[in-house]
Amino acid sequence: MGVPAFFRWLSRKYPSIIVHCLEEKAKEYNGIKIPVDTSKPNPNEVEFDNLYLDMNGIIHPCTHPEDKPAPKNEDEMMVAIFEYIDRLFNIVRPRRVLYMAIDGVAPRAKMNQQRSRRFRASKEGVELVEEKNKMREEVIQRGGYLPPEEIKERFDSNCITPGTEFMDNLAKCLRYYIADRLTNDPGWHNITVFLSDASVPGEGEHKIMDFIRRQRGRAENPGYADLIMLGLATHEPNFTIIREEFKPNKPRPCALCGQMGHEIKDCQGLAREKQGEHDEFADTVPVSEQEFIFIRLIVLREYLERELTMASLPFPFNFERSVDDWVFMCFFVGNDFLPHLPSLEIREGAIDRLVGIYKDVVHKTGGYLTENGFVNLERVELIMQAVGVAEDNIFKKRKDDDESFKRRMKEKKKRMKAHQGPSFVPGGQFAPQALGGRDRPIAVQNARQSAYEMRMQGNQRNQDAAQSLRAMMRNGKASSNDMDNRGVKRKAEDSDSEPEPEDNVRLWEEGWKQRYYKTKFDVDATDDEFRKKVVQSYVEGLCWVLRYYYQVNHTSATESSIIDFYPDDFAIDLNGKKYAWQGVALLPFVDERRLRAALADVYPDLSPEEVRRNSLGSDVVFVGKSHPLCDFIRELYLAESHEDTEIPAELCHGIQGILNLDEDPILPDKPVESPIPTLRDISSNNAVGIKFKDPQYDDGFVFKAVILPGAKIPNKVLKPGDWEQSNRGPWRPQLGFNPNRQQAHLDQSGFRKLNHYVDRNQGAGLFGARPSFDAQHRGGQYSNAPPPRNYHQGNYRPPQRDHYPQNQYSRPPPMNAAGPYPRFQQGSHGWDRAVQSQSTAYQQNQQRGRGGWRPPQNQQDTLLIFQGFGKGYGLPPPSRRNNWN
Amino acid sequence: MATMDVEDFIGQNRQLSDLVETFRSFSESEKQWKGRREFLFRNINDYEDPHLDQLLALSMVWANHVFLGCRYDAVLLEKVREMAEGIVVEDAPVFKTRDEVIKQQQQKVHAPAITH
Repeated sequence: MGVPAFFRWLSRKYPSIIVHCLEEKAKEYNGIKIPVDTSKPNPNEVEFDNLYLDMNGIIHPCTHPEDKPAPKNEDEMMVAIFEYIDRLFNIVRPRRVLYMAIDGVAPRAKMNQQRSRRFRASKEGVELVEEKNKMREEVIQRGGYLPPEEIKERFDSNCITPGTEFMDNLAKCLRYYIADRLTNDPGWHNITVFLSDASVPGEGEHKIMDFIRRQRGRAENPGYADLIMLGLATHEPNFTIIREEFKPNKPRPCALCGQMGHEIKDCQGLAREKQGEHDEFADTVPVSEQEFIFIRLIVLREYLERELTMASLPFPFNFERSVDDWVFMCFFVGNDFLPHLPSLEIREGAIDRLVGIYKDVVHKTGGYLTENGFVNLERVELIMQAVGVAEDNIFKKRKDDDESFKRRMKEKKKRMKAHQGPSFVPGGQFAPQALGGRDRPIAVQNARQSAYEMRMQGNQRNQDAAQSLRAMMRNGKASSNDMDNRGVKRKAEDSDSEPEPEDNVRLWEEGWKQRYYKTKFDVDATDDEFRKKVVQSYVEGLCWVLRYYYQVNHTSATESSIIDFYPDDFAIDLNGKKYAWQGVALLPFVDERRLRAALADVYPDLSPEEVRRNSLGSDVVFVGKSHPLCDFIRELYLAESHEDTEIPAELCHGIQGILNLDEDPILPDKPVESPIPTLRDISSNNAVGIKFKDPQYDDGFVFKAVILPGAKIPNKVLKPGDWEQSNRGPWRPQLGFNPNRQQAHLDQSGFRKLNHYVDRNQGAGLFGARPSFDAQHRGGQYSNAPPPRNYHQGNYRPPQRDHYPQNQYSRPPPMNAAGPYPRFQQGSHGWDRAVQSQSTAYQQNQQRGRGGWRPPQNQQDTLLIFQGFGKGYGLPPPSRRNNWN
Repeated sequence: MATMDVEDFIGQNRQLSDLVETFRSFSESEKQWKGRREFLFRNINDYEDPHLDQLLALSMVWANHVFLGCRYDAVLLEKVREMAEGIVVEDAPVFKTRDEVIKQQQQKVHAPAITH
């Protein structure tokens, strides 16, 4: 299952885990853009401590975007990346740590998946170029116009990999970016910034988890590569993920002429329409900008607690253990390394099925499936047996559902076609006349006679048809003409329906096990030993996946000895699917020993640059001048001490680690050259950078899957199960992060005005003077909450974190607030209902009337992770329509 | 080499066959290994150390082609076919390569429209 499928399932089943992100936009006065002040309180009514960025989820969409024209050169790409990070920083506003992790060398197991993607991308790239050239020819011949082909190299996304010039350049640019922001952006002044670039081995997500885990001094249970899983596995009580909101079927520009509205195969090379009188809007992208959402794991944990809680167990119930088991079970339905079992499809409710089985099994076996990353195989076997029993029915039902779906589609198509023209057009004097014609319609004469004649004609046709049918049945031949001169020809209709995709396994048919092993492994049904080997290897693989996240990360043609690793073309196992990209690429196995041996021959030929790029790098930490750690680091450089030095914990919010001097450091007051021509050098730089290493643990150290003592547990969000019985009045769901969000409302005159202008048929006084329960839950259609621009006015005091009370205090929302209300204003947001209902009420303005700004009530020590989503895995190639299976 | 010959060969060349046996991959089924083993036996005399890796690579080119459906450079494929002459693989699997799948899809797209 791809990330989108899992996420879609999760967000539908547990909808309260999603909160839309509020993004404050920069203001513009007289053409000058005033950047947002991110040191101000977070408009999402929550304060985050740390932001962790999985950078590859940013790099891919910025370098080869799917919904807009590609950047023209590397410099544009870098600028796009900076701007994207700025946006996230603006939404999240971390107050302690910003951690940026770029994928380094992946573990061997991940490489299969990566290779698969890259082989595919490579071939698709070649095909796209060929198709482009062909279309170009055609369009030009037909007299269309195309922009002159720029000598831009097609960006090969395969260069987003450790060791390339591109990634080296990216690291350089990010250092510049960090130094610039630390120097110039007030929101960055006191934070600690970590950069783990591609020269440090490990996947981005894994590096982040490692960092978190080591800082905690405990181990999390290993989790699924997906950040949601990893987040759950940390058992951190306050974990939030931010990701782009997925909008399916977004329009894409044509790869040939760059315009929207058609695909390359339909390109006609038409001149682009002028946007604006002088084409001044030419470069504005007509599509809406992507929006972000928060995924609150704390809420997910609440849901899971309800779902997984088991009564009358023979042993004490431990929620954290059951969460770990849930994570492990999700592996069976999908993970980054192994194909999932064919009977477990997420959209068929596989996870629910497993949870059901799980609860049974736990009663029988008396224990959990996993413990700190180790799998209890006996118990897992019980679960698998139960799945095995259900398999036949799962496959049959799947087939039945498929068939009825196809039937419905056919019917729908028929109906659509039928509307294209009437199946019977009256003739003679009843023939339809075009309106507005020169001839006025003549009155109908002798209608009865005409009607009689038409009936007779119809009769005759019926008889002919019947005869023809009889003849057909007698001869077994189709005599189509007579039957089909009315309405839609059946031939055309059938040829429109897609032929069935090839499926040599046919899971719903008896004998599927034999066919499965024969087709996939070329092994006979009698070869029991081989089948056992497959099962064993698969289970081993799953255990490995678990352990992977448990183990702390401390890596010519006929003459070539590795020529077999690089086929020109490879088979695709369509697996019953239709399109090539949905199938599994059968790539040859890479023999590690031979690979290493071949590389050893080549190392002497590398240039010094290449050697440097090919060597292991180190994480780097950056702070600004006003950060307590800055002077300490400066001393280290002055003393030129090249030994490992531990960070004094009190200088860095308790962050632990080991520092070492960087060879080419970023130092305060030393100018930083800009690697990008369009951006300025930093002449008076305030940032300092130094190499950083995570705290080390002994090999035998066991990381436990627990909540840390003293951890602040946030308040519950979901409606308690016993709310109805408790008679506490109507339940008001929490929207957003703040449980005590102020609902802004109008006074009497405002409501009178609304009721006057809004459709009165809906009932008098739709908007009462007092906001009714109903109105609030419609999302407050008209709210006088001002847009963020008013935010900064009035007294501002920066958050003084140490003075906050430990427990969150609650204030009842005022029923009838006195004082002047800010006027109803049209903000730059527009009044999109969805946005309104989430988090636009600004407490600040309400409270200002009461004397001074107060800190947001919803103070949290939260962690936040950005989960990139345009990585390119699981997504179809750009030239096809999105077809989410 | 017919099967009998291979068995004979193994019997008479214990040391060599022991060496070759170490080249079997964990994921190779009996059928796949039999074929590739024969390939190695037939050609091992031409590849002395340190060129043994080249032979292994070529044996995988052949095996990937026959059992996995990979396609390689035409010259390369011709070479391994020669090297494999005489090997009989019964009931070899049939594959559709990615290029073929794409071509098939494109033909459907560009098929002439049926008018009515």
